[in-house]
Amino acid sequence: MDDLIICRCEEVSLADIKRTAHMYQCSAREVKLRTRAGMGYCGGRTCRPAVDAVLEEVTGEKPGNDIPLKVSPPVRPVSLSTLGGSERHE
Amino acid sequence: MYDVVIIGAGPAGLSAAIACREWDLHVLVLDEFPKPGGRLLGQLHQEPSGEWWNGIQETNLLLEKAQKYDTDIRCGVSAYHIEKLEHGYAIHTNQGSFETENLLLATGAAESAVPVPGWTLPGVMSIGAAQVMTNVHRVKVGQKGIVVGVNVLSAAIARELQLAGVELHSMALPASNPATVQHSNPNTVMDGLVRIAHLAPSAFLRFGSKFAKASWVRRLAVKFYPKGGVKMWGMPIHIRKAILSINGNDRVESVTMCRINADGEQIPGTEENITVDFVCIAGGLYPLTELAAVIGCPFRYMEELGGHVPIHSERMETPLKGVYVAGNITGIESAKVARAQGELAGLSIAADKLKAHADLQQHVEDAVKLVATTRADATIQFHPHITDGRHKMEQAFQQTKSS
Amino acid sequence: MSNHRIMDHPVLGKLEKTEEITFIFDGKSYTGFKGDTVASALLAHGIRQLRVQEESGNPRGIYCNIGHCFECRVTINHVEGVRSCMTPIEHNMVVESGRLQPVPFKSTEADKLPRTYAEFERGLHKEDDPHV
Repeated sequence: MDDLIICRCEEVSLADIKRTAHMYQCSAREVKLRTRAGMGYCGGRTCRPAVDAVLEEVTGEKPGNDIPLKVSPPVRPVSLSTLGGSERHE
Repeated sequence: MYDVVIIGAGPAGLSAAIACREWDLHVLVLDEFPKPGGRLLGQLHQEPSGEWWNGIQETNLLLEKAQKYDTDIRCGVSAYHIEKLEHGYAIHTNQGSFETENLLLATGAAESAVPVPGWTLPGVMSIGAAQVMTNVHRVKVGQKGIVVGVNVLSAAIARELQLAGVELHSMALPASNPATVQHSNPNTVMDGLVRIAHLAPSAFLRFGSKFAKASWVRRLAVKFYPKGGVKMWGMPIHIRKAILSINGNDRVESVTMCRINADGEQIPGTEENITVDFVCIAGGLYPLTELAAVIGCPFRYMEELGGHVPIHSERMETPLKGVYVAGNITGIESAKVARAQGELAGLSIAADKLKAHADLQQHVEDAVKLVATTRADATIQFHPHITDGRHKMEQAFQQTKSS
Repeated sequence: MSNHRIMDHPVLGKLEKTEEITFIFDGKSYTGFKGDTVASALLAHGIRQLRVQEESGNPRGIYCNIGHCFECRVTINHVEGVRSCMTPIEHNMVVESGRLQPVPFKSTEADKLPRTYAEFERGLHKEDDPHV
């Protein structure tokens, strides 16, 4: 069961998360940053609740009012040409 | 500069757009799906009255009204960032940027995953994916499948697959692991199932009447749950069987199922292989709030509402000036509630902009009441304590405003 | 194509056939109906695999079908990372599945490296540290 993939984008397994949490005795946030669980192409939309459930179980941290890992723009992958464009609709 | 840009053309976004257009505001609706309607498009279930709730028809009714008011709805547009300007907001999308005084976030919900070994194989999809493929695109997702996760949403969609002639072996729980805690315990799942017992006139009623609402009866029901499952529309629902793994090389070929005890623990030696070519994963919905997060809306975590929700008032305003929310981003409820919330949000925006109109305030108050009665009349209750959650949210908004 | 289509539905009625559209997927020609997405048109032909995980090569197909998961991303008319579940098919559209990518250099010792400057400094004074 430990080789179960939790984060599909980055193929982070349950074992990866458990090992990292155990080795560094760190916060849920740090486990995410170290394993990249929830930080792949989809921005965590698919696995965020599952990753949070695993981390609650592994680290014992209960979800607070803030979203556990800050959501940063862009919230969709964007091409450089889109970012560089200055097209503006008033 | 728009008066309001609405992100999401689902039941909430479209209803809000109509309300704003009725008051002649300059409105733009954006949605990233090629067709407007959001998750409403795929919905198809029978009401207790026997009538069908047809999401495509309901969407068309909203679209006709929106067209009557000449509403600008643009599909295939993905918003990736929102920036605060001096007098409003800039919405950055793959189709350029749009400036607006007010902003309504009606981005709906995303599906929670229930990870099971093998769930990355082609042929494994979320139950919502199967719903859209079946009812919107009219493509069969496979010849024979199984549903992993037993809840309000998955029972309703399993029935939709069956209606379309897609064969399902059964519905069962995911095997217990740290990521499936809520979904793999038979007692928790049974408590949830009793809430949908009243859903459809025939099949669900018969299912529900088997398990009275007292919790000790439910505990007994879980303990003595029949090995063959309880059939709903001829399809077995198993809450004492779990899916251990999904198997196949390049695509789904089978699943391994086992029996579990009343606490969700695997009973060794009961494994069996079932040939299927697709699997639907059903972990329920959670509010999709990322755009609210990037503009800095404060949040509350509320289990009753389905997770992290931007703080908002009962008139759908957030503490950020000019930012409103409606629909599933405010908590998981039915499309009818989303529609009522959308209309309310639209009226609130109009009332805040056109302060001179005294009768608009009355419309807003009526719309607040309509949301409450729609909620009370809802056929599907996603969370039993939804009303408590709504009260707590209103308190959170008042606290934020006064601090 | 029709054996995967839901032609008759007891509530939604008959499938109204619209204009047929021909597009290319991995060099082969396929047809779908106007209004299909790349994902739905391919699934109607029984095609499930749309890409591989770029690093491991493990196969992927549609997962959420509503634009959230990006698992169905493909290359369309030479633009990479396009969601097949959100893109309507068009005449002569060229769709290519996602392939295995070369893996950038990865440290196998990442777990042993210091996390903070303080840890790094403490590490300097260890006698068995090969970097001293």
